[in-house]
Formats: sequence, structure tokens, C-alpha cells
Amino acid sequence: MKSIRTYLLFALLAIITVVTFFSLLHGYQASITKAEQLFDQRLKDLAEIIATSNQDIISRKQSSAHYSSKSFFQIWSKELLLLLRSDNAPSQFLSNTKNAAQFNDVNYKGYRWRTYTLYDQRLNRWVVTGERTDLRQNIAENIVTASIIPIVLAIPLAAIVIWWAIGLGLKPLKIFALQLSNKQVDDLSPIILQNTPEELTQLVTTTNALLARLNAAFLREQHFSADAAHELRTPISTLKVLLHNLQQNHKYGGELIPLVAAVERMAYVTEQILSLYHHSPEQAMLKHDTVDLTGIVQKVIADNYEFISSKGQQVSLTAEAFTVSNASAFALETMVQNLILNASKYTPDEGEIRITLSEISLNNCLIIEDSGPGIVDSELKRVFERFYRINGDQHDSGIMGCGLGLAIVKHIVELHHAQIKLEKSEFLGGLKVLVIFPKQGGE
Amino acid sequence: MQILFVEDDIALAEAVTESLQNKDFVVNHVAKGSLAISSIKVDLPDIVILDLGLPDMDGTEVLKIIRKHSAEIPILILTARTSIEDKVLGLDLGADDYLAKPFEVDELLARLRVFERRASTSKHADLTIDNVTIDVVSHQVTIDDAEIDLSRREFMVLKALMENAGRVQTRDKLESKLYSWGEEVASNTIEVHIHHLRKKLPQNFIQTLRGIGYIIKSP
Repeated sequence: MKSIRTYLLFALLAIITVVTFFSLLHGYQASITKAEQLFDQRLKDLAEIIATSNQDIISRKQSSAHYSSKSFFQIWSKELLLLLRSDNAPSQFLSNTKNAAQFNDVNYKGYRWRTYTLYDQRLNRWVVTGERTDLRQNIAENIVTASIIPIVLAIPLAAIVIWWAIGLGLKPLKIFALQLSNKQVDDLSPIILQNTPEELTQLVTTTNALLARLNAAFLREQHFSADAAHELRTPISTLKVLLHNLQQNHKYGGELIPLVAAVERMAYVTEQILSLYHHSPEQAMLKHDTVDLTGIVQKVIADNYEFISSKGQQVSLTAEAFTVSNASAFALETMVQNLILNASKYTPDEGEIRITLSEISLNNCLIIEDSGPGIVDSELKRVFERFYRINGDQHDSGIMGCGLGLAIVKHIVELHHAQIKLEKSEFLGGLKVLVIFPKQGGE
Repeated sequence: MQILFVEDDIALAEAVTESLQNKDFVVNHVAKGSLAISSIKVDLPDIVILDLGLPDMDGTEVLKIIRKHSAEIPILILTARTSIEDKVLGLDLGADDYLAKPFEVDELLARLRVFERRASTSKHADLTIDNVTIDVVSHQVTIDDAEIDLSRREFMVLKALMENAGRVQTRDKLESKLYSWGEEVASNTIEVHIHHLRKKLPQNFIQTLRGIGYIIKSP
């Protein structure tokens, strides 16, 4: 069912049409019968009037009287000699003399006629009146049709009124739907309807109860995230410090290295999962700040320089002054960090990473290029999926990762209504990541 | 150096205490905010390391009370809360530094050393990398025991870079250390200072990261 309004309109119209059709059919038949009776009565009356007003008992020379009515009359003597007739009447006896005072249907001149035969006992003669059946039917039909037409014409009018009335009746439902659809993603406040009709009360109450429960769950979830972060970060810190202390103690040598790597990895994956959760579109409350992206890129490179320089990689930044409006500094820092660390991780030692912030066809662009192996076309789509790593388990195990980095980046890019593109770098031969921010001012 | 360490997780507290003791710090550990406050009132430590998630009261409350008691004591926040708001709030309330869990022990030690140098005005305050030594108090700079002359601002740039050896200092960061708010800074001021410093210092002592900033590699 596409629309309650349309459904109700058509259902009501169909019912009205069917009911009207049958009552009209019945009314038509009844009216026609009634009209026939009326016409017959008129013929009978006419015959009686002629019988009383005309005294002829012998034939006149001029036997036809001018008479313009649709009906005709004849006066015959007892011996069936024509005494007088109207000029539209035939000159033969159009009746059956055996039965006086009765109606007959006869054929004459290609028409069917309805006649009434009266035997005038006072003057011993026959009076016959008649009229054409088809003309009688025409008149009867005209009368009946005239009374039916307004009813038929009223149906479209009724359709308009019904359409309007249903619309009025459904208005609270429409307002309810509008309120729901206008809700912001993070707006879980209850819906307030004025004059809620009985049928909607339950729906509104249940919806508001659901919204309230969702809101509570949402708050719980946020607390859970903060608690989980604290609960995981503290034991990982403990492990790190304990390992550090063990390394200071020179009793242990190489056997600690895999342990350190495992703890590092655990710490990394925990942070990435929390970060993914924190920046998911349902979770993130975007701050409407104007953020200095150049400063963020500089900070991220500075913070991660130890890692980059440990691989002997060259990193450079070419930047124009560059801000992003309606942005979250924390989210953008996470995004830039993931992209730069990815570039560093997948670029071999002594490689090069080139970062550019510039305007390309009026859009602000962040471009990160590296001299690594790049990504083959067939993998380009899948790298944004969660926990997806190129070549799966055969992924170079020397590189720490969990396949969440680009999923996080994608969330943040979407949060800022930006676009991300992966291409082959023309200058360095590796991967080129473009993050294209929407035009400033939203033109 | 006496450190008051406020942390409710006993395992972490014991591990960190051991690390710090290995580096000759004296560590007093307390697990509750109320104990930290009473401890401060009895005996003022040199440095406070404060966890924000405490069982009896919020760490930021503890921070406020400690700050009220002493305006000078360096406070390092060590916490699992990592949002920018938390950082800003902590620093606004008077913390000197902020370290997020999970952290590297070396990072913690580096931050503590900065506090230590800042505090040790009367004791010797030398900082040496390779053959370059600076005295934070007397502003003397020596290369292989030969003294060189630096302007006040050149000295501050060198000090910032040496104190944070191994970490990149962006141009913005250096500018904010050298100039106060509202002071006019020409766009190439830092470059000029670095240029002059390079002439006086050993070759490649200060390295440039194009478009990003400068770094002195840690020894």
C-alpha cells in the first residue's frame, strides 16, 4: 500500500460508485415503469375527454381534424365507419373490437404504437387514442436521465471532498512523520504532538519510550567506551613498564624482544579499535571549529619523527596556509596520523614521503605520497574495510597493523564531508592519497 | 628528587615506582586522592604525578587543591583520558604536562628530567649533547670546553631543541616559546636564528625538516 490517503480515496469512491450504480439501476427501472403507467393513464383520460366532448355519430365530409399533439385519436361508429380522426392518425381501425377499454400494441407505418380503445356506450361508437411507443420511451428516458445525471456528476466532486477530508484526518500522522524525519542523527529527544488523536497515542507513546531507551543505551555506550579505554590502557601501561624494567635488568636478552613486540601490537590494536569507535559517524559529535590543518600535519610529523627517522626515510611538507571549517581537530589529527604512519610503514627504509597541502580547483587538498610499493587497483576498494589487510595472513608480518587504519580514516573523511582518493604517485611511484575537503563557505 | 605518585592501579604503581627508583628518584605512592592531599600538606614533594581516574574523588579536584597549596610544584598528569578537552582542562587547571596511557617509560623519564632541570636552579644544570654543553642557569654554551657567544633568543632556541632532543620542534612551537602573545614575529625569524646558530655550532648539529621544523638528534 503506497499511501493510506490514496487507498482510502479509491476504496471510498469504489464503494460510492457501486452503491450508486445499483440504486440508480433500480431507480431507472422503477421510474420507467411509473412513466409508462402515467402515459397510459393519459391515453385513457384523452379517450374519455374525446368521448364526452365530441357528439359525432355520422361521418363528416372532412374527416380529419387538425391536431398537432404527438398522440392521435379516431372515432368509429359501431359498424366501424370512420367518423372522425386527427390528421396524424391512420385511417384504419387500430384496435381489437372484441375487448373494449383496453391497451394494445400495434404496428403501423413502420412504427410501433400504443393504443387505448374505449367503447362509448352512450353513443354506441368506438374511441381510439394512441401514440408512438418510441416517442413515449424517449420522453420517459429524458425524464429519468435528467434525474440521474446530477448524481453521476457528483462523484468526482465527492472525490475532491473525500481527498481533502482524509488529508485533514491524517494530518496528525503526517506531522508525526515529519517530526521523525526532521530529527538530527543525534537528537533523541521525545516527540511532542498537540491534540494527539486516539489512534496515534499508542504509537507516539511507544516511539518516545523507544527514543528514551535508545538515549539511555547511547549514554551507557559512551560511558562504556571511556571505561573500556581506561580499563585497557592501564594494564597495557603496566605491561610496558614491567617489560621496560626487565630490559634494564641485563639478565634477559633477546627473549624479551617478541614479548615487547606483542605488547606493542596489543597497545596499537586497542588504540585503533577505540579510535574507530570514537570516530564512527553514529558516535562522533562533530565540533564546529575551524581547524588549522597545516599545524596539525606539522605536529603529527613532529610527534612521529622518531619512528620515521628510525627507518631513514625523508619526509617533507609543502604547505599553503590551510584551514578546515566545521571540523574536529582531534579527528583530523587521528586521520593525518593514520595516513602518515601508513605511508612510513609501507615505504622501505631510506624511502621518501612527500606531503602537500594545496588548493586544487578551489578545493583544499591534503596529498600524501610515498615511494613504497603502492596498492594494486583490485585492492583499492577493499582497503577501507575493517580488519582488511592486503594479502591477508601473508601480509608482511614485520609491519605492525590490524587493518583498521584506513577504516578510521574513511569515517573521519565522511564526518567532514570530504572525499578520499587513492592513486599512483607520479613523482615517487608509490601510493598517493588525496583528501579533498569541501569548498569553504559551502557554495 | 622526591616524587609523589598518585595512582589507584597497584600493579602499574609498583612497576613505575621500580622504574623511577632505578633512575634514583624517591617515590611515594598513594592510591587515593584524599591521601595525596594530606601527604602534600605534611611534606611537599618536588614533583607530582597524578592519575585523573581515582576511586574516591576526581583527579581534577585533587589537581585544584594541590595547586591552591603550592603554585610552583610541577604536576604531570598521567591518565587514560585522551580527548583534547581533557588535555586542555588539565593544563588549564594548572598541570605542567600531560602524558596519556599507555606511555613509554623513556617518555615519562624525559618529561621528569625537564621538570628536574627547571627546578634545579641552585644545583648544576648542565645539558650535554655530543660535544655541546649548555648551562641552563648561567646561559653559558661550550663546545669542547670552549665558550661561544649566543644572543638571548639564539640561546632559547638551542635550549628548546636540546631539552627536547630526538623530538621535532615545529616552527610554531619555537615561536611560542620565544615570543609572548601579541608580540610581532616576522615569518622568517626562527630561520634567521637557526642560521646564526648553525654558523656557531658543529656541522649538522641542528637538522631541518623541510616545511615542518627542526630537530637535534638525541645522543
